[in-house]
Amino acid sequence: MLEVKELKKVYSTRLGGNKVEALKNVNFTVEDGEYIAIMGESGSGKTTLLNIIAALDKCTSGKVIINNKDISELKEKDLAEFRRNNLGFVFQEFNLLDTFTVEDNIYLPLVLAGKSYNEMHERLMPIAVKLGIADLLKKYPYEISGGQKQRAAVARAIITNPELILADEPTGALDSKATDELLKIFKEINKTGQTILMVTHSVKAASTASRVLFIKDGEVFHSLYRADNTNEQFYEKINNTLTLLATGGKE
Amino acid sequence: MKKSFYPSLALDGIKKNKRMYFPYILTFIGIIAMFYIISFLQFSASVKLLPSGETVALIMKFGSLVISIFAVIFLFYTNSFLIKSRKKEFGLYNILGMNKRDIGKILFYETLFVYLISVGLGLFLGIVISKLAELGMVNIMGGKVDYNFYISPDSCVFAIVIFGIISLLIFVNCLRQIKFSTAVSLLKSENHGEKPPKANWVFGILGVLVLAVAYYLAVLVKNPISALSMFFIAVILVIIGTCLVLISTSVLICKILQKNKRYYYKKNHFISVSSMSYRMKRNGAGLASICVLATMVLVMISTTSCLYFGKEDSINSRYPRDINIDFIYNDISGLDDDITKNINKTILDISKENNIKPNNVSIGKSVFISGILNKNKVDVNPTLGKVMNTSVMNNLCTFYFIPISDYNNLTQKNEKLNKGEVIISAIRKDFSGNSLCFGNTVFNVVKTVDDFKIKGQMSVNTNPIIMVFVNDFKELDNIAKLKSKNGDNAAGFRLEYGFDVNINKEQQIDFAKNFEKSYGNRIFDCGKEKIDSIFVEGREVNRADFYGTYGGFFYLGIILSTVFIFAAVLIIYYKQISEGYEDKDRFNIMQKVGMTKKEIKKNVNSQLLTVFFLPLVFSLLHLIFAFPMIRKMLLLFSLNDTSLFLITTFISFAAFALLYAIVYKKTSNSYLKIVSNIK
Repeated sequence: MLEVKELKKVYSTRLGGNKVEALKNVNFTVEDGEYIAIMGESGSGKTTLLNIIAALDKCTSGKVIINNKDISELKEKDLAEFRRNNLGFVFQEFNLLDTFTVEDNIYLPLVLAGKSYNEMHERLMPIAVKLGIADLLKKYPYEISGGQKQRAAVARAIITNPELILADEPTGALDSKATDELLKIFKEINKTGQTILMVTHSVKAASTASRVLFIKDGEVFHSLYRADNTNEQFYEKINNTLTLLATGGKE
Repeated sequence: MKKSFYPSLALDGIKKNKRMYFPYILTFIGIIAMFYIISFLQFSASVKLLPSGETVALIMKFGSLVISIFAVIFLFYTNSFLIKSRKKEFGLYNILGMNKRDIGKILFYETLFVYLISVGLGLFLGIVISKLAELGMVNIMGGKVDYNFYISPDSCVFAIVIFGIISLLIFVNCLRQIKFSTAVSLLKSENHGEKPPKANWVFGILGVLVLAVAYYLAVLVKNPISALSMFFIAVILVIIGTCLVLISTSVLICKILQKNKRYYYKKNHFISVSSMSYRMKRNGAGLASICVLATMVLVMISTTSCLYFGKEDSINSRYPRDINIDFIYNDISGLDDDITKNINKTILDISKENNIKPNNVSIGKSVFISGILNKNKVDVNPTLGKVMNTSVMNNLCTFYFIPISDYNNLTQKNEKLNKGEVIISAIRKDFSGNSLCFGNTVFNVVKTVDDFKIKGQMSVNTNPIIMVFVNDFKELDNIAKLKSKNGDNAAGFRLEYGFDVNINKEQQIDFAKNFEKSYGNRIFDCGKEKIDSIFVEGREVNRADFYGTYGGFFYLGIILSTVFIFAAVLIIYYKQISEGYEDKDRFNIMQKVGMTKKEIKKNVNSQLLTVFFLPLVFSLLHLIFAFPMIRKMLLLFSLNDTSLFLITTFISFAAFALLYAIVYKKTSNSYLKIVSNIK
């Protein structure tokens, strides 16, 4: 469903003096219902990659195809609609608007899509119960904990029934208990057939995924499939790969 | 550590924060320049030489006081923005090992630099403009222009000292803020999590009520004197009401809109309604001060310009003829025809001796008496307790008895009255009885008219006036005998003798000024000892006073308005900048959840527009309700021209709105620049 082809992104300073190659040549595909983690060191280009897939940033060359649509060819106006209908976002910093209650934050993409209140409410209730935030709906983001905020953000991401959920370091600002809860939730929604693409630093988070891609110096360096491994075994494998990456060895 | 370390750090701080400091210093310079100019005019020799120089100097002294007080409040307010944006930097210094004493030193140098730059440039600007201001002023007053350029040392010293003290106060306030906060709280002070605004029903409704009361007072006030005292009460209520309404009521309205799910969950309303309530809570105070400043500017400019442009009218209604001689008699018999004839003949003789040909001679007799009107009974001897009571005071009227023949002459009518019958014309008062009683004297009111224009001495009277046209003054004998508490006559007896002349301005002034000295005895002689006193006034003699007072007010109005506009613009600017930084993250999020840049911009624009024009709408509302009240106060300056006031008010508002729109355009650009760096 997602195809990234020969993606390249070059940042140049304003006067065009220095050029920084954030992504050199990235290729991978994601199938329906996959749960993919992307790992790499700081500055390896993970977030740039996510931003380009989310159409928040433009690539220098290459293609991003989601459901047979090349998003680099979409216009600004269509892009927003495309994001709304096909993508759900979960961020490290939650990105909930402090001007809205939790409920209104979750409704935001639906309101933008012009849905009626009754429909929104109907869609929200099962999700809220599943994510354990049904009691928090009337509260404001500043009144709830980080883990609760992140669950609210997940609810906002999945309420539109998106094709693909993009998560940028979703556990980055959470304590270990909240991290476990969130990963469990990710796993569960993945089981219902939801495709997830997650960028992360955390081996623990990555070890819940069905596949892990490693990025180094703007390229996909390696990928690991979970196959029949348990979480612990997969954790071990990821760790080994990271060590390899860090020491600079080749396969 | 090198000696120049702290000064250079301070200078660096100013340079790095120029987005915040530049407008602050600019305002500082502007206020100092304005202060210098006003103070310069107060001491200026050419202004002193004006016929009404003393009045002008007094008005300017008042003006410099207003500016100083305003400067303290306003500079403190804007400085709080500055210090807020610097706290993070100071926190960092603190953590890197500077103690608060050192930070105090940086702050000291910063304040010092700002002070030096502002005083230097402000005085320079003030001195450059002051001559221009003086020329303008002398021109407005119709005085002689003097092109010598000089600097007023007194004004310079005043400016240096006063603004030095203000700077010191600001510095102490900054120190206080730094002293009572820890390094960590300084670092974090910028990103406090914000609680959602709670709708406060009590304050929200109170705001509407207070404003309603203020408007009610303004509209209902009848008499100019109580208008003056009511005005200050109304002003205070309006200020409180504006603050409450903009801070609380607006949030309340947003909350009510949010409760309506059908309305709220619409693409166009969802974001704007919820962020509006935040905006209003954060900006309520700022918006209220913009609104108050705007209203002040509008009231000042419309009123003073109306006075200034209406001064010829005021002069003409106050002095119906070139030369006006007022006779006050000690008895009603002074108004007898034979005495009047004698006086007429003597004045004509005196004119002839001076080679003056009197024209348009007008002789107006009147008997006047003040009293409290209760339905149709007049109490001319109210007790002190009654006088102190404002609702009774509102019924205090002056009654002018005028012969019906005078009325017929002035209005080209032919009304006839029998004994005991009167025609009534009530001004600034409703009168609807069919009789009027003064003790035992009862008049039968035949009809009421409203086509009689008051002129001359009557136009100075600020009480409600009731003109009583009678057939013959003989019917007033009983009223003439009424005594007041101290045994004097309760009534006054006046003859207004006026005529136009064929001599030039200087001769007129000369004639009027010397009249009493030269011919007083002759006049008193022909009055058979009935004359109590005479006053000689003239258009030319008194014109300078009018020009001085009204021109002075107008000028001060312009200068103070400029300062207030400066202030309003600065508040707007800081508001936009600080909001820009706060909204930046919010727009980032909105874009990520699927809003286009265009939609965001449209949304922002509509919010900015609402927030921006709210103060303007409110000040228009204030102005509309203040209109009747101010119109009554203008009567104190013998100005009774509603259409002129309407025009000046309208023009003032239109000009202000235009200026406001331009400022909006400019400042919203700086806002968009901050916000539009969306990734």
